[in-house]
Amino acid sequence: MQFIYLVVIILFCLGLYTILMNTNLIKIIIGINIMDSSLVLLLVALSYKPAGTAPIIDKQYSVIVDPIPQALALTAIVIGASITALMLLLTIKLNRYYNTLDISEIRRLRG
Amino acid sequence: MRRIYILALILILASLLFFTFYDLIQPKEFIDDKAQISEYYIEHGVKETGAINLVTAILFDYRAFDTLGEATVIFIAVSAISLLATKERVLVSDTNFSPIVYQGISFIIPFLYILAFYLIFYGHLSPGGGFTGGVVIATTFVLLKMTFGIRYSKEEKSLQRRSLIESIGALGFILVGILGIIMGDNFLANEGAGFHLGIAGQLLSAGVIPILNLFTGVKVGSGLAIIFHRLVREE
Repeated sequence: MQFIYLVVIILFCLGLYTILMNTNLIKIIIGINIMDSSLVLLLVALSYKPAGTAPIIDKQYSVIVDPIPQALALTAIVIGASITALMLLLTIKLNRYYNTLDISEIRRLRG
Repeated sequence: MRRIYILALILILASLLFFTFYDLIQPKEFIDDKAQISEYYIEHGVKETGAINLVTAILFDYRAFDTLGEATVIFIAVSAISLLATKERVLVSDTNFSPIVYQGISFIIPFLYILAFYLIFYGHLSPGGGFTGGVVIATTFVLLKMTFGIRYSKEEKSLQRRSLIESIGALGFILVGILGIIMGDNFLANEGAGFHLGIAGQLLSAGVIPILNLFTGVKVGSGLAIIFHRLVREE
């Protein structure tokens, strides 16, 4: 069994659960970040090889893990950070305008 | 009632994900036939790019155009945040720390800069690179802002300077790319653009990669610093 993929599934579902169950905007942003982290974990797990070292070429190591998913994970991290910054800014503006962080109290956002 | 719907939805999603990953979860022998591109990079990467760190080689040579798009994402985030940010007064913290905090932060800042530029300039030799070093640079700004925040004056000027530095980073990246076209090769070409690859493993090697690392690091650092300043602005 490779439990790392089960961990990815559990983290993803926990993030979604956090998004759907909470009404606090900050907690929703934390849930989105948890889902983001689970995807990065999936990319890192996909690059794994048994007994592989980091993809820095050296003569004493012959087995090297797959470098492409790690480069893609960097892209995912950067975009996640940008999205988090934007979401936090919008949260600040909503808090200033409505004086609450609870989306069920913000009437125009109720769906 | 809503809770039951949500739990059912998440259970359905979890089972779907489980069956999607079912092949991967099974214990099996690792087969390498699926990873032909990676094998190519591992075998020819050092010879073609001069960088022994293969992640950096992929980021700044094979997929450098992708990295330019990545840097543009940060640029767009900075632009949107600067456009939307309030002009009102926001206080980070008006508490006075003890002198130990002020002295400690002042002491640690130069070492953080050394770490950041080490990460940037050794990006093709060891773990690190432009993005990591840029984040460390932004961390120094965040530390200064959090501790000396209230007394730190001349904010508008430093913000303009930072925005100028970020633009220089983006422009430098694109100009290095266009240099490849001028020399008769692709956009963001490495050896074809006349850059000397050098001996793999030395500090001055890998041609275009350290230059692109420097531009990316400067750009990411100033961009994240601008984002933080806009989010916690005081006037």
